[in-house]
Amino acid sequence: MIDTSTYHVTPTELASEMAIVEDAKKNPSRFGVLYDNYYEQIFRYIYQRVDDKEQAFDATQQVFVKALESIHKYEFRGVPFASWLYRIAFSEVNNVYRAQKQRAVNIDSQSVYAILDELEETKIDEYHDKIVDIIGKELPEDELQLIEMRYFEKRSFKEIAALLEITENNAKVKTYRILEKLKKIMK
Amino acid sequence: MNRKVNLNRPKISSEEILKRKNFDSVLKQSAFSGTKPFFKKPWFLSGVVALTVALVATVLLTTKNTKSDQPLVNSAAKVADSIALQAFYKSEEAKPCISPPIKGLNVRYTSYKVIAEKGAVLAFKTGSALNIPKNAFIDADGNVIKGAVELRYREFHDAADFFVSGIPMTYDSAGVTYQFESAGMVEVLVYQNGKQVKMAANKEIEIEMASAVDGTEYNFYKLDTLRNNWTCLGKDKVKPALAASKKTLPENSALKKVEEMPEYKKLEMKKTEAEMQKQTEIAMLPKPAAAPMKPTQVKKGKYTFNIEVDAKEFPELAVYKGFLFEVGDENKNFNKSMYDLTWDEASVKEGTKAGLNYNLTLIKGLKKYNIVVYPVFEGKNYETAMNNYQEKFNKYNATLEKRIAEEKRIEAVYQSKVAAYKAQQAALVKLNEERLANLFNQMETSEKVMRVFAISSFGVFNCDNPSSYPTGSSCTATIKNDLNKKLMCYDVYLVDKEKNALFTFTKNPVTRLSFNPNSKNMLWTVENGVLYWLKPEQFNAMMLGGGAKDVVLNKVNQKFETVEEMKAYFNF
Repeated sequence: MIDTSTYHVTPTELASEMAIVEDAKKNPSRFGVLYDNYYEQIFRYIYQRVDDKEQAFDATQQVFVKALESIHKYEFRGVPFASWLYRIAFSEVNNVYRAQKQRAVNIDSQSVYAILDELEETKIDEYHDKIVDIIGKELPEDELQLIEMRYFEKRSFKEIAALLEITENNAKVKTYRILEKLKKIMK
Repeated sequence: MNRKVNLNRPKISSEEILKRKNFDSVLKQSAFSGTKPFFKKPWFLSGVVALTVALVATVLLTTKNTKSDQPLVNSAAKVADSIALQAFYKSEEAKPCISPPIKGLNVRYTSYKVIAEKGAVLAFKTGSALNIPKNAFIDADGNVIKGAVELRYREFHDAADFFVSGIPMTYDSAGVTYQFESAGMVEVLVYQNGKQVKMAANKEIEIEMASAVDGTEYNFYKLDTLRNNWTCLGKDKVKPALAASKKTLPENSALKKVEEMPEYKKLEMKKTEAEMQKQTEIAMLPKPAAAPMKPTQVKKGKYTFNIEVDAKEFPELAVYKGFLFEVGDENKNFNKSMYDLTWDEASVKEGTKAGLNYNLTLIKGLKKYNIVVYPVFEGKNYETAMNNYQEKFNKYNATLEKRIAEEKRIEAVYQSKVAAYKAQQAALVKLNEERLANLFNQMETSEKVMRVFAISSFGVFNCDNPSSYPTGSSCTATIKNDLNKKLMCYDVYLVDKEKNALFTFTKNPVTRLSFNPNSKNMLWTVENGVLYWLKPEQFNAMMLGGGAKDVVLNKVNQKFETVEEMKAYFNF
């Protein structure tokens, strides 16, 4: 699987980003640089998890408003600033679920085919709808999150681990267990 | 919780997402908008403005009746000036996003021919490289372009490059204006048949830009000429530059091919002209007559014929008197009976060895013989012929020597000219080698890293870091010329040699021109296409101390043909 993540940064980039964060703590207008850098990826994270585009834009706005208001509390923990924004975004997405009393699961067929490929299943057309059904309706929330991140958003295990605050190995093991589970359910 | 499954929902483009970006509204919605001190609150500010207007109106109304007409005239003039100034500002603000301030002076493009379906790897003189994939271009209708396209490329690395290009070096992010500190900027444009082409979907040109700036704090931006602002595309990658020894100039570098330089070609032409002149002069020298033939004495026992010949036909023989034709040894069939016979007819023609032998034709009735004969002399005639020959030979020899001397002189003149041209060519080669060496040295000293990024469209891209104006000191600066007249200028540029930036202030007077007094600073501005500057050695004397300053700039009288000339003038 191709890793399309924009999450990982070098130590120098981390240091550079920290300087911007420190600057933004003193002068809120400097937060604009962070806003520019992360707006699109935070929006995409939220949009993947909600039903409506406008909801996603509103929630993204709220993420940055909350981040700006709380940036003075932000402490550098050796991970990119993005991970803090994702935590706020996760919370904001949950607010949307509560308000809508519904959780949206957005699936694209290409990702389904990628899952079937990993399951070494050749009858992909036959199982496509079944997989959609299982993922959309049957998988528990924690497993759905892993599938969303790994197959729908094509994140690396390292990034998934950082976002879910688990180890990279744990992220791998959990994902493969879910795949095994899918295989069993399908048969 | 209920779940709603959406299958294959339409994707949202980055453009659509970026359109909805609005940091200003984030700022407004945040708690910061409500924590301003009372004097920054809109109600307070608007009240102050209203009060000020009322006060000014009252003062004007009460003074209007007590003043003479003259100040009113002055006021009218001031109003007219103000209207003209506002109109000027409006026209400046309406200018295109990229507006070079000095006509005819800009960073030049380097053009490359690329076969669209093949792609190419292009090398730029600074050491930068462009990797163009196959079938990367489409026309306005979205068709993939085949055949040759022209790729125009240029780079901008310092304040002088930024200034002449007219590319804005300010970045507006959510209403906050930043000044760019740059690690380098490029412009890439592609044309086919004079029409600009687009990049095909999913294609990218990877650029490795040689840069003297090695920090990783720089973002990667594209200039949006419609919005007149930069769009952040992420970050570039930084990798070490190649060793100087591995650097090569592009194949089409003018420096590399000295033989193609006009000066060199001109000298080559002069060499050919000198060769032609030499040949013409030699051809025009008087030709000496044919060398006289040395008389031969008749041999004993040989048959000879005494035949008169036409002087016009045989001028070499005509000069001698009393010669005979001796029958040569090659005539094996010749015998005494033939000699004793009285022939009806005898005629002579030139033989196989010109000037030496002849063909004698003898005819008697139906009999005809061809005999090879040699002119010979006998007795007194031989002595006379020898004297005659010696005299003619001396004359011939003198003429010949004279000609040889003249040919030598012409050859010497030619050789001297060619040597001079060759020396000039050698000087050009040396100069070119020195330029190359300098260029390599510059590359070695200036290039620290390669900044790597990929572009999926064409235009201006930069690796920059948004920063603020330099700090340390500031003043309100009214920019004037040396006649103490305020300059009608819009952009005032601060060049701080400690920073790779072009700090741009607008409008004259500049309300707050801040700078670092410990740096080497200079100011540039342009009025009606004429460049003015404040020299570094004048800067602190004129600017330090705060408050309002009249800043008198020097007019730059030199007309720059190239950016390099400008850089040399400003000691870049």
